[in-house]
Amino acid sequence: MSTNGTPPEEPNVPEQPLVEGTPAPAGAPEESGRRRLAAGLWPPRLSRAQLIVALLLFVLGLGLAIQVRSNSDSGPLRGARQEDLVRILDELDGRTKRLEDEKQKLEEQRKELESSSNQAEEARKQTVEKERQLGILAGTVAAQGPGITLRITDPKGQVQSDQLLDTLQELRAAGAEAIQINGVRVVAGSFFSDEGGGVAIDGKKITQPYEFRVIGKPQDLEPALNIPGGVVQTLEKEQATANVTRSAKIVVDALRAAKQPDYARSSSS
Amino acid sequence: MIAVLGLVAGVVVGLLVRPEVPAVVEPYLPIAVVAALDAVFGGLRAMLDGIFVDKVFVVSFLSNVVVAALIVFLGDKLGVGSQLSTGVVVVLGIRIFSNAAAIRRHVFRA
Repeated sequence: MSTNGTPPEEPNVPEQPLVEGTPAPAGAPEESGRRRLAAGLWPPRLSRAQLIVALLLFVLGLGLAIQVRSNSDSGPLRGARQEDLVRILDELDGRTKRLEDEKQKLEEQRKELESSSNQAEEARKQTVEKERQLGILAGTVAAQGPGITLRITDPKGQVQSDQLLDTLQELRAAGAEAIQINGVRVVAGSFFSDEGGGVAIDGKKITQPYEFRVIGKPQDLEPALNIPGGVVQTLEKEQATANVTRSAKIVVDALRAAKQPDYARSSSS
Repeated sequence: MIAVLGLVAGVVVGLLVRPEVPAVVEPYLPIAVVAALDAVFGGLRAMLDGIFVDKVFVVSFLSNVVVAALIVFLGDKLGVGSQLSTGVVVVLGIRIFSNAAAIRRHVFRA
């Protein structure tokens, strides 16, 4: 590109070079160009041309800074074309939908888990309830409820273990649910034995008076003991006295240790 | 010297003040900046050639900016805005490079 033959569409170069403003030195054109640049730069002259150019360059710098800043401070979407934006929006919509679906699925799962845990809780409650009921039967938990107290006084020592066993069977037949005799819980596996003039239940010696605490329906238990030829009359034949007292609240608080069977295992599950 | 100061002042003000560009002007700003850069390089070259005239510089600067903005505007209206902007940037880039080459020959003698 020649320095003199500028194309006519070059806007900054006038048709006729005006050289009166700058003295053309006799040296090489490169030298003169450098000198002109240096001369324009260093002694800052306040000429009209300098001011106008400064104004335009100010505008340019302003635009440059604004553009750079607006490009840099607002993410990658700023320069994106419309199609790209539409595509991105579509993708976001799809992603939102997928996430919504996933959320719904997870919520359903959560609901399921909650209901199943509710069921598990219910089953656990029922198990606990069952355990309590079975504990009453097995004698591992205390029980209370309506029932009777049977007190047998035997001043002559005529009452034997078989009579106490008869009494117990009679009470069971009448629907007794929890029984303790003188602080010994009587369960299905209890046994009576005569021991040196006294009676032992499950190997524990008990002494007179024999006090039965029985939980059950009092209206059934009392007549069962008092029927003619029943327990009370038989005991009275042996010179013993038997008092039956109904009570709205009988506490059976003697306990037995739960015994793990050595050989028998549950066949279910 | 004052011209260089003006450029620096413009950049500083633009960075510090953060003026809001009206939405109407916003799409034309980058292309106008490139066109103005082209005018500045042309002016620098003319100065090194010893044929710089301030009036010509002003006119070329303003007309460059206006024409570049006009082309983009037209391109947007015709639906080929992005392609036309690319074309304008390419043309201006070529001109900037040739002017820079001339300036380089003056300054570095190479």
